[in-house]
Amino acid sequence: MQYENPDVPHDVNVSKGNSLTEFARLALGMAVLIALVGAATWFGGGRLARLVPFKTERSWFGERVVGVAVRSCNPSHEEIERYLQRLGSTLAGRMDLPPGMTITVHYTEDDVPNAFATLGGHIVVTSGLYRRMPSENALAMVIGHEIGHVKARDPISAVGGSAAMSMVLALLTGQGDILGPQVARAVQLGYSRKAERKADDLGLAALLDQYGHAGGASDVFRILADFRGDDGGATPALLSTHPSDADRIARLEKAAASWNREAAPLRPLEVAQPIGRC
Amino acid sequence: MSLRTDRMELTNLETVPGKQVVRHLGLVQGSTVRSKHAGRDLMAGLKNFVGGELKGYTELLNESRNEALERMIQQAKATGANAVVNVRFSTSNIAAGAAEVMAYGTAVVVQ
Amino acid sequence: MELLIQLAFIAILLVIGLVVGGMVERRHFSSLAMREADLKLVMVFNEKTPPANVEYRDAFLVAGSVVLGEDYFKRFAASLRSFFGGNMRMYESLMDRGRREAILRMKEEAHRRGARAVFNVRLETSSLGDGGSGRGMFSAEFIAYGTALIQSKG
Repeated sequence: MQYENPDVPHDVNVSKGNSLTEFARLALGMAVLIALVGAATWFGGGRLARLVPFKTERSWFGERVVGVAVRSCNPSHEEIERYLQRLGSTLAGRMDLPPGMTITVHYTEDDVPNAFATLGGHIVVTSGLYRRMPSENALAMVIGHEIGHVKARDPISAVGGSAAMSMVLALLTGQGDILGPQVARAVQLGYSRKAERKADDLGLAALLDQYGHAGGASDVFRILADFRGDDGGATPALLSTHPSDADRIARLEKAAASWNREAAPLRPLEVAQPIGRC
Repeated sequence: MSLRTDRMELTNLETVPGKQVVRHLGLVQGSTVRSKHAGRDLMAGLKNFVGGELKGYTELLNESRNEALERMIQQAKATGANAVVNVRFSTSNIAAGAAEVMAYGTAVVVQ
Repeated sequence: MELLIQLAFIAILLVIGLVVGGMVERRHFSSLAMREADLKLVMVFNEKTPPANVEYRDAFLVAGSVVLGEDYFKRFAASLRSFFGGNMRMYESLMDRGRREAILRMKEEAHRRGARAVFNVRLETSSLGDGGSGRGMFSAEFIAYGTALIQSKG
């Protein structure tokens, strides 16, 4: 009887392949998968969210989602807010909103020029924006744009889409606490470019209906672009993930091509802008 | 008289019944670490609510066991053996949803 | 912004795991090959019955064990792999190294004590660390044990 220990091949116990290339392939596959699933759940969730009736949205979220900062100044905070609400209601009346969809405009003390629409038909305009508006026409373009978002149900769509996406991604990757909230936050305030263009169109249509021309509309984006250029870092939500400013300015100026400045001058703001710091 | 076949004889006895061991060729082992894909993991997680056999994992470990045996046989073939005796298995949990299965035994030549 | 910082942190750990971990593993494999060649004279079998018709001067239990841990690259790559399914080669290399190391250490003990053969060798593996939950680093203990026999001369 023979007892021996011949050499055995040890490489059978490790599968063939290169760790690095395998990792690269898997990581790429994973990234693609996450992008696809993210997009699908974002749009799917958004569609579903839009089915929630506006009345329900408004009663669920009410005034609580809107936090405004107030400062006493001259003219008063209330006066400016009332004017904004008047303008908003007038424009909303021209925008063929579905019955039951009400717009509430709020004014908040914030030096960063910004305007956004949130749940329940609430629109917020900052003092930073109001101080920089050269005409009522420009202001109307901003408010009309935001009403456009409300009409398209963009706020609740974004909430629904990001909730659906973060939930599904957390389920799939099993790492909800790192990936989910980060991705959701990244898209929470960023509307898609298509939504922005649509809101631009709706705002422009309201402008034309109200004033008969589109003059002054492009001033808004020029001002915001200047602000962003000066500031370097702070990007107002109005501009994040938006179609490039140059595009928007060009489109609005094209719409205003037939405008005659002498025949139809721009309207000044009804309530004066606060000067200096309060 | 026994026919020379390509198949390796495997037993977990000390010998192959009815045959004589003429050469002992030492320890051979095969091991594999495998994982099921996320879909199966999800199903298994859901199944945990009702209990019963987790078919996906049974399948996974069966495949792993077969692969470990295959690798052990490969080592045995390289030594010139035609049988492996005293085969033993061992399973360890590596990570969520992944397990290592190892098979080892002594490679021998039987007649 | 904090997402970027988190990603950068992960990337750094991955690179360290890949480069340093890879070096550690390669060095271990060559050390294993060298020592296996040196210890070829100690034979191992997992049969229970030692050769008959032989006189034995001494028989004693010998064992070798080692605990090996993973590196961050292995862990991350494994989590990707476990999503798609299939063989986890990064762990296979870890388990292979551990087992061969344990067997070698058992052989070394047998050799030190004068034996040339070890019978009824058994291999055991236990996963320490958090093998199951996916949190924390994985590590495993590998044991090889058997009975070493010393033939009496003549």
